[in-house]
Amino acid sequence: MLPKGTEKSKELIEAYSFISPLLLFILLFIFVPVVGTIVTSWFKATTFLSEKFIFFENYRLLFKDVNFWQSAQFTFLFILVSVPIELFLGILFALVLNCTIPLRGLLRVCVLIPWAIPAAISARIWELIYNYNYGLLNFLFMKLGIIPKPINWLGTSLGAFFSLIIADVWKTTSFVAIILLAGLQVIPEELYAQAQVDRADFLQRFYRVTLPLLKPAIIVVLLFRTIDALRVFDLIYVITSGGPGGTTTSLSLYAYKYFVGGDFGYGSALSVILFLIAFFMSIVYVKLAGFSKEIA
Amino acid sequence: MRFFLFVLLGIFFLASCAKKEIKVLTFAVGGAPNEIDVWEKFVDEFEHNSGIKVNILRQPTDTDQRRQGLVIPLKARKSDPDIFLMDVAWIAQFAASGWLKPLDDYVKEDGIDARIFFSNVVNLADKYKGNLIALPVYVDGGLLYYRKDLLKKYGYTKSPSTWQELVDYCLRVQGDVRKYNPDFYGFVWQGAQYEGLVCNFLEFTGSNNGGIIFEDGKILLNLSENVEAARFMCDLIHKYKISPANTFTEMREEEVRIFFQQGNALFERNWPYAWALHQSDDSGVKDKVGIAPLPHFRSGKSIATLGGWHIGISRYSDAKKESWEFVKFVISYETQKNLTLKLGWNPARKEIYQDKEVIKKIPHFVDLRTIFENTYPRPNLPYYTQISEVLQRSLNAILAGKLSAGVALKKAEEEIQNVTQRYREE
Repeated sequence: MLPKGTEKSKELIEAYSFISPLLLFILLFIFVPVVGTIVTSWFKATTFLSEKFIFFENYRLLFKDVNFWQSAQFTFLFILVSVPIELFLGILFALVLNCTIPLRGLLRVCVLIPWAIPAAISARIWELIYNYNYGLLNFLFMKLGIIPKPINWLGTSLGAFFSLIIADVWKTTSFVAIILLAGLQVIPEELYAQAQVDRADFLQRFYRVTLPLLKPAIIVVLLFRTIDALRVFDLIYVITSGGPGGTTTSLSLYAYKYFVGGDFGYGSALSVILFLIAFFMSIVYVKLAGFSKEIA
Repeated sequence: MRFFLFVLLGIFFLASCAKKEIKVLTFAVGGAPNEIDVWEKFVDEFEHNSGIKVNILRQPTDTDQRRQGLVIPLKARKSDPDIFLMDVAWIAQFAASGWLKPLDDYVKEDGIDARIFFSNVVNLADKYKGNLIALPVYVDGGLLYYRKDLLKKYGYTKSPSTWQELVDYCLRVQGDVRKYNPDFYGFVWQGAQYEGLVCNFLEFTGSNNGGIIFEDGKILLNLSENVEAARFMCDLIHKYKISPANTFTEMREEEVRIFFQQGNALFERNWPYAWALHQSDDSGVKDKVGIAPLPHFRSGKSIATLGGWHIGISRYSDAKKESWEFVKFVISYETQKNLTLKLGWNPARKEIYQDKEVIKKIPHFVDLRTIFENTYPRPNLPYYTQISEVLQRSLNAILAGKLSAGVALKKAEEEIQNVTQRYREE
């Protein structure tokens, strides 16, 4: 029973006045900085030279910059390797935690711990695990007789890359697991009962019932994880600071270095590129999830 | 009610008057908590003597964070902080950004003779385009720490003067000590991908008559002297194996210091701060440590990279005259001496190194003076950070064995050429 005519427009105004604080917030804290960064990226904006409008010159330099391409390559490899592992392990954890097993509540809390630790601190922990002299990894492997002498895990590009992947997987799998657990809990029990009546085995139940109904949660998780992995900073800053020889420099670490060095224009151009990638990834995921359809 | 309003107005009026008369200075300083505590005592003393009020703006310990904390208000042209400490590596950037009030007039007016400081420090680091824009508070330079007891045990009478000698010492001692301490290494230094690596590199190359050379507005890096020095750095890890394999991944100042302090190394390259910690009661090398200038290549001489912090006044300060009073206080004989006695810092004033009370407490100060006279700063350029970035990456790639010294330095020189072109003044 919708009121008609003026009543309706009145209601519309009322509705907008309710969401206006949120709109204002988004405008002030998201829209303004984004536009500001885009505008800065058109300038030669260092602290020590006079400011000059150069339009796309920063971007032109960026596309010629070998180190930019190297960090872009590293960042995408990081996403492509870390996110699937996290998703796979996350689903596994979520399924286990969804079963009625003893101490389930305690287990659920434990799984959350890595995610609750601030990133810089967990990075520090991993740095100590990988440490060459007194690291846990070298200590254990030597005690077990797997390696004759300590290995410098972070000393090769490949070693550093996988050390970072493991640290990231450890930290964020629990986040994936918790979101998926929430997704699992809304799947009605009757569907499984029905599937059992139809003599579906465990794998069939998983592929035909669980996975399709878990899809929205999976997409949400993928969206979060992909964009987080794209922006990865703290982990790398602490564990390798981009080494060895700059091979583990992520895009955001690369941008940060320009901001610290006082070149805001170039740093902004890098940030804009990051923003655009994240933006298009989000669009793709949202389309995949078909959220807009459901609402309409 | 009306009476009450009048009183309130009166208070506001008085308060605003009072505010105009007494200017409060803001002094941004970072460091370890105990260091800031000492600064707070200094400020109390200054306030008591001068009647000028100073607020301390506490900053973190990390150098990059301290810089960011200053860049933001300065870029916004805020009148606070009035005074701040700067790392020697960013003075040029701050000066070129026009953030520093030139101090020439003040210095002339008060008859301060810049020769009381180490002349290389003031001339190479505190001047920008002929203007004096900062003054040194304390200086740092790379030193060679050595194990007195071990050198004596193996019959060496003095610390090595050339790098080749250092290698020979290490190979002999390391082989023997490893029989009872398998973690023992000859020489530890800073090789991780960060600013410290550049400081170490400049000492190796500088002691081979190389370094970063400026010629006709160009920066030269790919010199045979530099290639030789960089190859030597790599050899320390991979050929002679007298520096641990993690030198290029984990070795920063503190890792190096702890490694040496646990008694696991014969030689250590570090800044002067390590001395007091090596001599502390829980140190494994207490009373077993000596210091010396860093070794050099056969044809060169010892060089120490200049580090340390300098004080400057903001161009946007609304109390420059009062700020200058505070600067004068910080560089005064008494304050500089107290910095040494309370924190073990190395003051910029040369006379402190002859002060009887200081020498009695810290005998090695006599040797430090000659080392600081041979310090060499990093390139005094506003875009030094970008150059350092290139260097850090390339040098670390050499140490990791990813690129040969010749190839990496050639590439780095090209990249630095691009950097200079981009940030050159037009």
